[in-house]
Amino acid sequence: MQKKHILHLYQRAGFGLKIAQLKEQNTLTVDRLFNTTLTVDDLTVSTPEIDDFLANYSDKKAKDEKGFREIIKQSRNKVVEFNSAWINRMANTDNVLTERMTLFWATHFVVRSQNIIYYQKYNNTLRKFALGNFRELLIAISKEAAMLDYLNNQQNKKGSPNENFARELMELFTLGEGKLYTEEDIKEAARAFTGWGHNFKGDFNMRKKLHDEEQKTFLNKTGNFDGEAIIDIILKQPECAAFISRKIYTSFVNDRVNEAHVLEMAKVFYKDYDITKLMKFVFNAHWFYDEENIGTKIKSPTELLVGLKKIVPFTFNNPRQLIYIQKLLGQVLIEPVNVAGWPEGKNWIDVNTMMVRLKLPSVLLKNGTIAFDIRGEFEDDFDKFNKKSNLNRKINITPNWEQFDEETITLTYEDLTNLVLRCSLNKGSKDFLKSLEKVDKQEYCIQLMSLPEYQLS
Amino acid sequence: MKRRDFIKNSSLASGVFLVPNFLKAFESQNDFIKNNKKLIIIQLSGGNDGLNTLVQYNNDLYYKNRAAIAHQKANLLTVNDELGFHESLKGFKNLFDDGLVSVMNDVGYPNPSRSHFRATDIWQTASSSKDYLKTGWVGRYLEKVSKTSLGAIEVDDTLSLLMKGESINGIATKDPKLFYKTTQDPYFGQVLDNYTDTHLSDHNLGYLYKTVIDAKSSAKYIFNKTKVYESKAEYPGNTFGKQLKTISEFINSGLETQLYYASLGGFDTHANQLNAQKRLLEVFSTGIHAFITDLKNTGALKDTMVLVFSEFGRRLNENNAKGTDHGAANLVFLIGDKLKSKGIYNQPANLVDLDDNGDIKYKVDFRDIYASLLQEWLDTDPSKILNGNFKTLGLV
Repeated sequence: MQKKHILHLYQRAGFGLKIAQLKEQNTLTVDRLFNTTLTVDDLTVSTPEIDDFLANYSDKKAKDEKGFREIIKQSRNKVVEFNSAWINRMANTDNVLTERMTLFWATHFVVRSQNIIYYQKYNNTLRKFALGNFRELLIAISKEAAMLDYLNNQQNKKGSPNENFARELMELFTLGEGKLYTEEDIKEAARAFTGWGHNFKGDFNMRKKLHDEEQKTFLNKTGNFDGEAIIDIILKQPECAAFISRKIYTSFVNDRVNEAHVLEMAKVFYKDYDITKLMKFVFNAHWFYDEENIGTKIKSPTELLVGLKKIVPFTFNNPRQLIYIQKLLGQVLIEPVNVAGWPEGKNWIDVNTMMVRLKLPSVLLKNGTIAFDIRGEFEDDFDKFNKKSNLNRKINITPNWEQFDEETITLTYEDLTNLVLRCSLNKGSKDFLKSLEKVDKQEYCIQLMSLPEYQLS
Repeated sequence: MKRRDFIKNSSLASGVFLVPNFLKAFESQNDFIKNNKKLIIIQLSGGNDGLNTLVQYNNDLYYKNRAAIAHQKANLLTVNDELGFHESLKGFKNLFDDGLVSVMNDVGYPNPSRSHFRATDIWQTASSSKDYLKTGWVGRYLEKVSKTSLGAIEVDDTLSLLMKGESINGIATKDPKLFYKTTQDPYFGQVLDNYTDTHLSDHNLGYLYKTVIDAKSSAKYIFNKTKVYESKAEYPGNTFGKQLKTISEFINSGLETQLYYASLGGFDTHANQLNAQKRLLEVFSTGIHAFITDLKNTGALKDTMVLVFSEFGRRLNENNAKGTDHGAANLVFLIGDKLKSKGIYNQPANLVDLDDNGDIKYKVDFRDIYASLLQEWLDTDPSKILNGNFKTLGLV
């Protein structure tokens, strides 16, 4: 593979290469990328007190328990901690593709939960099936407590069906809006999912008494369907394979979709819904390496942060400050805007986020300051919400420049440029960079990452 | 080279913002004014309890459902023989008595969402509860009418969905000087000085460059336009007061921006509501009173309309923590001196005919209010901005 293509592959499939990986660059291939995905480690933060609480109380008792409010508060803080741990995992892991896919599925099967136990479980289910079989992933995610809560299937009961999950299952997770199915299909599918719920600990619970055993007619088929049967009928529709392929294409290849390429992908995917096979097909396709697909996608805020971290390792000493930065950039990983997920591509960019993006490297790595208010959530009390001041703040971060210096000692400025930037530079920017070569590599690198070009992957 | 020297050198090099020719086209976009009408949108975020804001003090059902948190007539600022405003709303009540306020009851939409996030999205995008729109209605106004980011300003650090269009977004700033300084940072878009037109034709990279240019020119424009004017009026020292003062200064310094958005948060009063709401409404009332009085004195009020909403109201039945839970339809206030129906616009909420959750049913669709403001105030065909046809109510 050409150097340029390896960098492209690892950018899209794994947030970019680390400096240390440049040495072994020639040995990197698509196969090698997939070989590192064979073992998958769960991502967890330790929650001893919450675990104890769950072990000792059942649902009804717990809510009257004095310590319950404290446990809820702790859980919220743990979700914030998980947010940091997740970003760290994406930047530090060798199993880059699994993490990149996990991020993709988290923006596809969107949930929001303040319950760390449910959230963590959901997140690890995404990770476990990230490159597995789409059917298994879909069924497992539909049974996650975080999902059952978020889309109200916990309230979906025989006699008074709640359609929320059934609607989004088709509209957002498998088929796409307005395709193929009618309002009547949504109603019938909702009936098939009645009774799907979870217990207090977050384990799936098939509440038989609440399940509607009568016949349903869904997408022109009639039978006594349950949730899994509905999912199987959906998967039989070629539109489902096409819908997922298109979304993968938008996220990994180009936000301007080439319909012919998506069609090729959908054919591969429809055979057995094997996600690994689909991704191998994409990364081996000659068109993946076409000029128009290299260095032309706008990075999501998460890709941007993780990418920065891969070049210069840094730690947020206060996990809340990471949330503030994510807020300014427009993507708090643990708080998707709504069930439809974040609108991507150009939608990430406005005047304000652009200013933050360009300042980000200097703010994070060179003690720069940034203006933001520490704003609370809706549930905060008056004082907390209104105790704000418009200051230029320093972010409490420890960058590891020592490692950077050591790793870049043998690199030329050109090597560094090629590692950091994916899109080609025209003469104007080249001259600008040339003029910077008199500064040290740290400064040079920060300038590279402050270019609009760095926003592209 | 030391960092400090580096900054010094680079700021010398770009000390004067040299505008390459190709950028000039983007800098002269300030002729976007359609008319000089301003609309200020204020969200009381968290879900303000409308039933304790405008109290039905002769309604037994109100007292029955709210044993712990009901307000007695003696403490209210009475409007007529059935309604009274919360005691914190003195300044607001003065505006009301002067005929500058229209209070609309039961504003909402079918199948209301009780999630803050989703309900806020619905109000900001003007969608139904089934649809997920990626643009806000103000964003769409920018796209169709203003044609520039400068058409709408959110007085905050980040941009809400309300302000986002497909290819044009509004601007978030509450401190034009700081905003301007940021764009003068040595790390910010220095490379522009070396650029040529070819970049702008590129799909995504072009968009990024255009946005950087937009940031630079907008920040500079807002700063230069507003730096000389300072409001002499007294505003409360809290954040909300400062936001309103900033908006007043923007308007009075002649900035062409038509739409402004600010929010006052903390209304999610699930527990011990009495004290919290009392303080919040006080912040709202003193702030809005100062703002309207200021605009009246400078003569800007005749061209300004204020819309105040909350993403949902709260349940009639109080909870056992001396608070209220998320509800549905709620109050909307319009403030200005061109209102057609001054005072109480429609019947107060019906406390008997509630929905399945025990919440107030909507009678006025919030999108009808948007449609009216677009048509009657901003002189714009609402069907261009809102998805679907909504009726206009003859509000202005």
